[in-house]
Amino acid sequence: MEETRRADGRSPNQLRPFSCTGNPLHRAHGSARWAQGDTVVLAAVYGPKPGTRKGENPEKASIEVVWKPKTGQIGRQEKEYEMILKRTLQSICMLTVHPNTTTSVVLQVVGDDGSLLPCAINASCAALTFAGIPLKHLAVAIGCGVMENGAVILDTNTAEEQQLKSFAHLVFPNTRKSVDSKEPKEKDEEFERGLITSVTHGVMSEDDYFNCIERGLAASSRISDFMRKTLQKEASSVDA
Amino acid sequence: MEGVVVRGEGIRCRARTAAAYYRSYSTPALPAARRLLSSSNGVEEAAALPTSRQLCGKPRSPFAPLDLDLSLSLSLRVSTCAPSPRRRCSQVPGDVVLDLSEMTNQTIKLGTGLRQVTRLIGCTWDLQECDTIQATSAGMLRLSKPNKYWVESSQKRYIPSVEDTVLGIVVDTKPDNFVVDIKGPNLAFLPVLAFEGGTRRNIPKYEIGTLIYARVVKANSIMNPELSCMDVTGKAAEFGQLKGGYVFDSSTGMSRMLLSSPTCPVLEALGKKLSFEIAVGLNGRVWVNAPAADTVILVSNAIMRSESLSGIKQRAMVENLLERLS
Repeated sequence: MEETRRADGRSPNQLRPFSCTGNPLHRAHGSARWAQGDTVVLAAVYGPKPGTRKGENPEKASIEVVWKPKTGQIGRQEKEYEMILKRTLQSICMLTVHPNTTTSVVLQVVGDDGSLLPCAINASCAALTFAGIPLKHLAVAIGCGVMENGAVILDTNTAEEQQLKSFAHLVFPNTRKSVDSKEPKEKDEEFERGLITSVTHGVMSEDDYFNCIERGLAASSRISDFMRKTLQKEASSVDA
Repeated sequence: MEGVVVRGEGIRCRARTAAAYYRSYSTPALPAARRLLSSSNGVEEAAALPTSRQLCGKPRSPFAPLDLDLSLSLSLRVSTCAPSPRRRCSQVPGDVVLDLSEMTNQTIKLGTGLRQVTRLIGCTWDLQECDTIQATSAGMLRLSKPNKYWVESSQKRYIPSVEDTVLGIVVDTKPDNFVVDIKGPNLAFLPVLAFEGGTRRNIPKYEIGTLIYARVVKANSIMNPELSCMDVTGKAAEFGQLKGGYVFDSSTGMSRMLLSSPTCPVLEALGKKLSFEIAVGLNGRVWVNAPAADTVILVSNAIMRSESLSGIKQRAMVENLLERLS
């Protein structure tokens, strides 16, 4: 298969440079600023606070997501993002640890250049960890696109998303590190990883979709390592 | 500048805070303090992490009766040699800390930040039980011999645990309790009679906004925590309202550092030159009082800045601040 050239010169599997700043906001209980190329999202977590909203199950903690776009009014697209984020975060948080409490996650879009939802999910996961909310595992998100010749490209930007006939945003759990790991992964870590969330746009064939998942899984381990380094750096800088 | 600098008078700490710190986060260093407090509490010495919460891996129904005295250890029995995880290694949620399928008949006690995960994996004819301890928060894994594990991290919010001394602010008064905010997931109740010599006739009149130094008596995840302004023997022991002074927020890690023994370098350096009074709550609140306002400001600023500094840098920073003043 010939090398697929992308408009900005990246190879198909190459991700944009990403960075994560820990706790930039002093008032929030946990916050993170996640940047993937020009797409930047700032997530702030407040909680857990006593009391749940009306209609929520009081036997579990509830998560409330507020999405603030960069410009314009809040519309259906923002509500959809809020719902996707809420369901994803509900599946990674341990909700039974603090019943009858609310944790609010507020996301502010600072820059949008494609793969906005994956960037937001990564930012909110990092912010939840900084706030100390108990989590089962981390959520690592990546955007994949399918080109006309069937090739899969990772971390799409806005121009690519507009040209491609279909793309998907996938969220995986992070790679596990075992403290006393003598036999790494012979119990098949890959088997256990699974997929948390998948949002697709456009039409793609089944094979293309499974291709996306495979590539996405491979790339997610890179992002997961990066997240681990950031969290460790933040923890040790506070420890002094 | 007016203001008497009294050398050596130093710090008057409230209520044996150093010992209180060692109740919550036991390190091997101070067995004496631990023994004193646990024997008076009736908790046996063997459960030397008396305030660790039990995190049961199986999701438990929130209305299951929780007996707090039992809730100290999670016993797990499996067989053979015990691999010990490296101490002081950094964890991220989801990391496997211990693989229990290779461990001996051992009792392991789990503190904050860890949970037990039991899963059946494999196909129908080859089901294996995968029993692991996983981290639920990011931080340093700590091990206290022989068998206590927990993940230490520093947050802005506080998770209440029994026998912690906290600074709370009254937000409401009810006929039976004061409702107190301790920066946790639930508001805490301070019974109106939980004071030394407290009877229905001499109930203290605390208004909304009063700062109170109290001790957590009951704490679990489903109920509101309960506080008390008496120590275990029923004496007042410095608990109660704190008047005057200045209160500010810190992180829980910072509070633990301020309460650690030997004395934290920033407090030691400040105590050599200034005289002030300080109360540190493990829930991330600090109260400072001194006769002169500029002393209060200097001490609070020094503490707020010392969070990410090492011991030597803390002393240097304090000297810098004191020089600029005098």
